[in-house]
Amino acid sequence: MIRYTLRRLTLLIVTLWLLTVFLFSLNYFFPGDTLTNMTGIRASDSLSYQLAAEARGFDSSIFTQYLRFLGHFSSGDWGQSLTTQRDVFKQLLPLLGGTLELSVLAMLLAMVIGAPLGLYAARQQRGAMDRVVMGVSLSAYSVPVFWLAQLLILLFAVKLGWTPISGQLNPLFNIDVQTGSIILDILASDNPYKSAALADAINHLWLPVIVLAIMPGTMLMRITRNSMLEVLQQNYIRAARARGLSELRILFRHVLPNAMQPVVRQLGLMFSILMSNIIVTEVIFNWPGLGSWLVKSIYERDYPVLQGGLFAFATLILFVNVVVELFHAWRYPQVRKELYAEH
Amino acid sequence: MNIWRFWLLAPIVTLAACTPSDEEVAPLQEGLVYCSEGNPESFNPQLGTSGTTIDATSAQIYDRLLDYDDEQQAFVPALAESWHALDGGKRYRFMLRPKVQFHDTSWFSPSRTLNADDVVFSFNRWLNKQHPYHEVNGGNYPFFTASGLNRLISKVEAVNGTTVDFYLRRSDSSFLANLATDFAVILSAEYGAELLAQGQPEQIDKRPIGTGPFIFKDFRKDLIIRYQRHADYWRTPARMKQLVYSITPNANKRMLKLLTGECDVIPYPLVDELAKLDTADNIKIASTVNPNIAFWAFNTEHPPFDNVLVRRALASAINRSAIIQTIYNDNAKLATGVLPETSWAYSPVDQTYGYDPERAKALLEQAGLGDGFEFDIWAMPVQRAYNPNAQKMAELIQADLAQIGVRANIVTYEWNAFRRRLVRNEHDSVLIGWIADNADPDNFFRPLLGCSALNVGTNRANWCEPEFDDLLMQAIAEADNDQRTKLYQEVESYVYREAPLVPIANSMRFQAYRSDIHGVEVPAYGGVSFRHAYRDAEPDTTEAKR
Repeated sequence: MIRYTLRRLTLLIVTLWLLTVFLFSLNYFFPGDTLTNMTGIRASDSLSYQLAAEARGFDSSIFTQYLRFLGHFSSGDWGQSLTTQRDVFKQLLPLLGGTLELSVLAMLLAMVIGAPLGLYAARQQRGAMDRVVMGVSLSAYSVPVFWLAQLLILLFAVKLGWTPISGQLNPLFNIDVQTGSIILDILASDNPYKSAALADAINHLWLPVIVLAIMPGTMLMRITRNSMLEVLQQNYIRAARARGLSELRILFRHVLPNAMQPVVRQLGLMFSILMSNIIVTEVIFNWPGLGSWLVKSIYERDYPVLQGGLFAFATLILFVNVVVELFHAWRYPQVRKELYAEH
Repeated sequence: MNIWRFWLLAPIVTLAACTPSDEEVAPLQEGLVYCSEGNPESFNPQLGTSGTTIDATSAQIYDRLLDYDDEQQAFVPALAESWHALDGGKRYRFMLRPKVQFHDTSWFSPSRTLNADDVVFSFNRWLNKQHPYHEVNGGNYPFFTASGLNRLISKVEAVNGTTVDFYLRRSDSSFLANLATDFAVILSAEYGAELLAQGQPEQIDKRPIGTGPFIFKDFRKDLIIRYQRHADYWRTPARMKQLVYSITPNANKRMLKLLTGECDVIPYPLVDELAKLDTADNIKIASTVNPNIAFWAFNTEHPPFDNVLVRRALASAINRSAIIQTIYNDNAKLATGVLPETSWAYSPVDQTYGYDPERAKALLEQAGLGDGFEFDIWAMPVQRAYNPNAQKMAELIQADLAQIGVRANIVTYEWNAFRRRLVRNEHDSVLIGWIADNADPDNFFRPLLGCSALNVGTNRANWCEPEFDDLLMQAIAEADNDQRTKLYQEVESYVYREAPLVPIANSMRFQAYRSDIHGVEVPAYGGVSFRHAYRDAEPDTTEAKR
């Protein structure tokens, strides 16, 4: 396990390092002044510009420049936005909170709905409900998020008037932004209308969470069903039945733990898909998160923000994938054995 | 198997728990959400000309020395209680109102009320190049440069604590009109000095302090601007305790948010959808006559637009009536010149080019471009009162130009980036417009086509003709309105001959709001004001009877 962990962590570090090299070189490929692209300081602000040029080693070789870049980057100095002149890293943290809140809730919802429905379908294999569940999941899986989101907005917000369509909270509730996660921020605030604000926040939250959860949820459903069916055909299940164990006991003690193994392996992939969907969802729902921030920075050609957003997204995805892989290897020793046997 | 049922039910139960409750919560009753169309460039209108910035700042955070009352067509006292001209119109004396409180916020507590120093500070900031704040946050004061105010005023002097004198280089009929615009706001000199001592003068335009009816609280780019009522306001304080601008650039989304009640007021609703909105009981549409002009400006420094024949050719090649039909849904008038009908110097003589593709072709032939050419049309990414859909307008123009063999590419950027690039004159031609800041006809010419407006970001045609400028100066120096009207006709025909821009339309400015909201004011000259806005105690009942 230690060897495996080290290998994964080394891979993570190498990937992150390559990412910084990529980001560093982007500054040269973007149009305009390289130092401005990197720090967000315009040449018209000559004093700060000179100071930045010095700090970034712009009078020495490209390797020194890269090392300085790495130094600044790792210490949280990601430059300032070209449009707002605010510190990119400080701006990023609450947005990360907003994105994490959405993605964690969506992931939870996907698991809560996807896995049991997959189980259910597997139990009813080839029955009517199996076909219904699988049919619905396949069609839901093939609907693109941007379209689904608009459709649900039209239905739930415009036609039925159940939910608002944008943002985290009715802005008239004056809640200070600390973590960026609206639920945590409300709980931490001392606003006299806390419970009303919380209800309003949940009211804003459920639609984007459902939109986001549908893709990973349906994936989970199909994976769970297939892997259940596979496990159900194993000899040890037949043996358990022959020994007269109850159906429920077989299901929860023998089928489920084994069936979950391929499901866990796919969680990382699901998270990556969720992340690309979250960008679209955040834009549609005006959600103050990394995704909408990144898209906006592309429109505005705000290169320091663009880099910060890219790096944050890539790191998040890599990190979650490594954690999932580590958990998978730790939880299912047979996977580890397969891995070692190859070498 | 009960367990399955539970899992199927869980999401439905969660959903049911989340449906909104109907009971009213105090902050929602006492606040108003305005879904604005974009981010302000800063929180000081002196620094910009964009309508978005004006809407977010002037009438909310600040006050002016005097205001223009559109109904009475007269200047009314604001921070100045009275004023009079001295020395044959070359000196104006303003008597200030006593006991005007500045905003008291977490970052600044005023120790005194408004006095003459504040007025001198606010004007010297853009007037005096040696002023410590002149270069702060860019040092560009486009309105004052374009209107020539910076060359008109020779100095501003405090006579005593409540009296200020403005010395003019010559008498000027548009002086008071310019002071009554949304740009001539009064800042706090004390706040300025305090920030200077702290070494962060740039904060003056980011965390503003003014005397206006609302106190700035918080701004999150692309999300919200939050204001709070100024309880010690010198006029009757605003009725709403809280005012929030929810930034929503997408016009469709703005309308949906109005329908769902997330916005109480929206500017620039989509014209095509207006009819649909009007039928909804809980939504009202208001329109105000807006002194504006939508035009298509050629960058006269970029070939081939340095050739007047090419400009005339393109002006004759587009079918403006079709554009008005499609884009404005007949909510606009075909422009007959640069001045709109609302201006007193307007004359109904048509000073524009009719739709005549044959003539356009002939003109291009004459200019040696018979085979056509390729260029860019820049189209605004946002809706403005004068143009609800510049992208679509660009497409129509593109199609018209294809008929005479000219290929147009449509270019657009995010609004603030768009304006920045325009100032750098990167465009070949641009679809944009102008909303008058005051009732003086001069406001349509010097800012748009005067030499002083070059490089400040209002002269989109990048056009400077000394002879034309002389004509404009002549028109300002004239005090008699009939004479001035005649002079502005000459100005119009000059623009017609040279065609640096093609006037397209004069339109109404629309707002849509929930029917329980009243008192939102959109003056003809200037930005939206929420000072008198209030919400019915019981939503959606009283208004229906009126």
